[in-house]
Amino acid sequence: MDPLETMKRHYQRRDLAARAWKERGGKVVGYVGDEVPEEMIRAAGFFPFRISGDPWDGTEEADRYTEPFYDPSVRSMLNMLLTGRYDFLDFLVVPHSSDAVLRLYYHLRDIQQMDSALKLPDLHLFDILHTRFWMTGLYIRDRVREFKKKLEAWSGKELSKEALSQAIAVGNENKNLLMKVSDLREADPSLLSGVDALQVIGSSMVMPKEEHNTLLRQFLSEGKRVLGDPPMLFVEGSSIDNLQFYELVESCGATIVAESHDWGNRSFDDPVDPTLDPLEAIAERYHLRSPSPRMHSIGRRVAYTVERAVRAKSRGAIFFFLEWDSAPAWDYPDQKKALEEKGIPTLCFETQKYLLSDADKTQMKTKIKQWLETISRPCGK
Amino acid sequence: MTQSPKQGDPNRPGNPAESGVSREGRTTKQLKSAVEAAAFQKEWFKNTRQRLSDGEPFVLANADTPHEIFLAMDIPVVMTQWWSAIISAKRLSPVYFDLMNERGYQRGLCRYCALPLACAMDHNPERAPWGGLPSPTLVLARLTCDALTKVFERLAREYKATFFPLEHTAPTSSYPRWWEGIKEHWDDIIEPHRLDLMVEELKALIRFLEVTTGKTFSHARLMDIMELINQQEEYYKKTRDLIAATVPCPVSLTDQIAGTMNAQWHRGTPWGLQNARMFYEEVKERVEKGDVACKNEKARLMWIGPGLWHNTAFYRHFEETYGAVFVCSIYLSLAADGYARDFSGNPLRALASRHVSITEFMYHRDWLLKEAKLHGVRGAVIIVSKSCVRPVGGAVGWKFVQMAFEAAGIPVLPIYSDVVDAREWNDAEVTAEVSRFIEEKVLARAEA
Repeated sequence: MDPLETMKRHYQRRDLAARAWKERGGKVVGYVGDEVPEEMIRAAGFFPFRISGDPWDGTEEADRYTEPFYDPSVRSMLNMLLTGRYDFLDFLVVPHSSDAVLRLYYHLRDIQQMDSALKLPDLHLFDILHTRFWMTGLYIRDRVREFKKKLEAWSGKELSKEALSQAIAVGNENKNLLMKVSDLREADPSLLSGVDALQVIGSSMVMPKEEHNTLLRQFLSEGKRVLGDPPMLFVEGSSIDNLQFYELVESCGATIVAESHDWGNRSFDDPVDPTLDPLEAIAERYHLRSPSPRMHSIGRRVAYTVERAVRAKSRGAIFFFLEWDSAPAWDYPDQKKALEEKGIPTLCFETQKYLLSDADKTQMKTKIKQWLETISRPCGK
Repeated sequence: MTQSPKQGDPNRPGNPAESGVSREGRTTKQLKSAVEAAAFQKEWFKNTRQRLSDGEPFVLANADTPHEIFLAMDIPVVMTQWWSAIISAKRLSPVYFDLMNERGYQRGLCRYCALPLACAMDHNPERAPWGGLPSPTLVLARLTCDALTKVFERLAREYKATFFPLEHTAPTSSYPRWWEGIKEHWDDIIEPHRLDLMVEELKALIRFLEVTTGKTFSHARLMDIMELINQQEEYYKKTRDLIAATVPCPVSLTDQIAGTMNAQWHRGTPWGLQNARMFYEEVKERVEKGDVACKNEKARLMWIGPGLWHNTAFYRHFEETYGAVFVCSIYLSLAADGYARDFSGNPLRALASRHVSITEFMYHRDWLLKEAKLHGVRGAVIIVSKSCVRPVGGAVGWKFVQMAFEAAGIPVLPIYSDVVDAREWNDAEVTAEVSRFIEEKVLARAEA
């Protein structure tokens, strides 16, 4: 099968590989966000599966415990966990990566206490913190060691240094290959649409890494078709775990060539340093990696956004903020100013629904088209 | 004392720092301790301003940070939540939030912790309450939500101050019945790794202050402060127990909050202790004399979440109309149960234990239910701010509180508003909603 089509299939049917693994007798460790060291999960012999929400799924079960004003993607995850959509998970690791994600851990813990008949995966809280101080790094290092012990308890065997080094090497290869995918997007003119890129990247989080690496190598070796010469855009704001927004933007005649969210390019920033002790290197990577929109300083976020948008030769940046996910919006005024100072015009969509209605889409499309008309051609083109 | 309420008058009611006059202009019963505390705070602010003009260091900190450190170094500190309450009570929050929105910040962002930033962005001391906040040299926050590091980073930039963040580690324990042993057994109740980090951070903060201010931290003074706090909080415990056990309720919620919070901002000082004692003795005297908050008390209610700073006279309407009296809130209850620590040998670690879990304790559903039962409440109102993610006062987690209360036969009404942003408050609508709740869920059940 065509490697791109295979990756797209796994993105669209995210549980495919995990269920197959499970059927073969393996165990699956689910995790939330991209702040859990998935290398450790693989090294321990488990299938690491990044869970996501589903905008087309309801939230009826989750609504019994949460209010609608709660990060909608996390609310959807809770609903999927409560309704059995993730019944193939043996364990679930929840990081302290945002308020909503942390609450997900407490909600699941409390719901399990209230209803012992409910089948939920065993939980582990990975308390990752977000300042860059050395002292915080030591705290994270301890949490990484704690996580190692938890994985060993789950698997019943020691997690060896060799296995961890091997898992790091495979993970780093995946990151390096995804960086080459990123180069295709940033080529001028671009050689890969944002919609396809999101599926290539996202599938890496729900497939065995070795298999994904093989697909990436095949995909990269194939000839690529130039997409034409649409305006190249950068996407900033909330994390986007589905294709709605990218499809909408690209249907307006633009190409999304880079983004800062963790279902996109930011997920493969910062390979783990293979020259260090593997556990120390993992602790350091997850401590010092590129900043997420939540809990990180505005200054770092602005610098990161500008650097990435410029590197991608973006002709414009679109901000997309989900409703009830307000932390990233604190960065917006400074990001907008800094991008515009670099000659990158911006467009902002505030408080957007997780599931975009037809009316939302029509309205957004009109705005995007109008804005694209105002973006001038770059010098020399 | 009789006076007319005026919008923007710093002596208008509701503010924890201020005296109490209802919005209808009636004089309400006042505790002398609360009035004295308001006067003390104002005088303290004035004196501090004077002192700062000599270039002294000054700290603006979030309320859940250990300001005892600054007290031990004789560095003045004010709390962002206190300042938010003052701004809000002066009805200035709409002006400042509008200004912030005009500067590109979206309307749905958090307000309670951000109002001082909105005020600072104005750079207009003439408009600000009490002539505005002196420029802090340091701003301090525990990073208890996604946005706090951003809010305080911006605040520091606005004041050209240093931002010192303290981490917020996540509890792995659910702290069952924490209130029963926290004073004596805090080291067993709170996870050691959480305490270890906070102690290290406090040491780093102390060294930073020593380097940048030339002052030396006094360990002996910290021990004295911790002892004074234990005595002060003991008075709150006695006061809380007295109020909980007395029907009709001897003190209005507005007075309770005012009587507690101003002195809490000065906890660890001889004045704080003296004011807490005065508060207790006053309540005791009222109980002995049979003075009550509402003569027609028919039902007791609990207020869950932060105070409604832009309209604390709100509670009075329900006393007058239904005899429904708000008898407790997190403020006096947390002072009673959550602050005291036996600290022999390690005051810094004991101090860390006071702050590292304060949010989890404050919104612990079993503790809230314990307080509800202790006060004999028949209903609870939870204020839910859509823009704040804190567990109960914010958008996430209050349904678990509601479930626990309702399982215990106590109906709960959530009201959706912001405690400092008056733009989101529709008085008639919320009054009607609470009235319906009292009529249908509280009084009807009591009669049945």
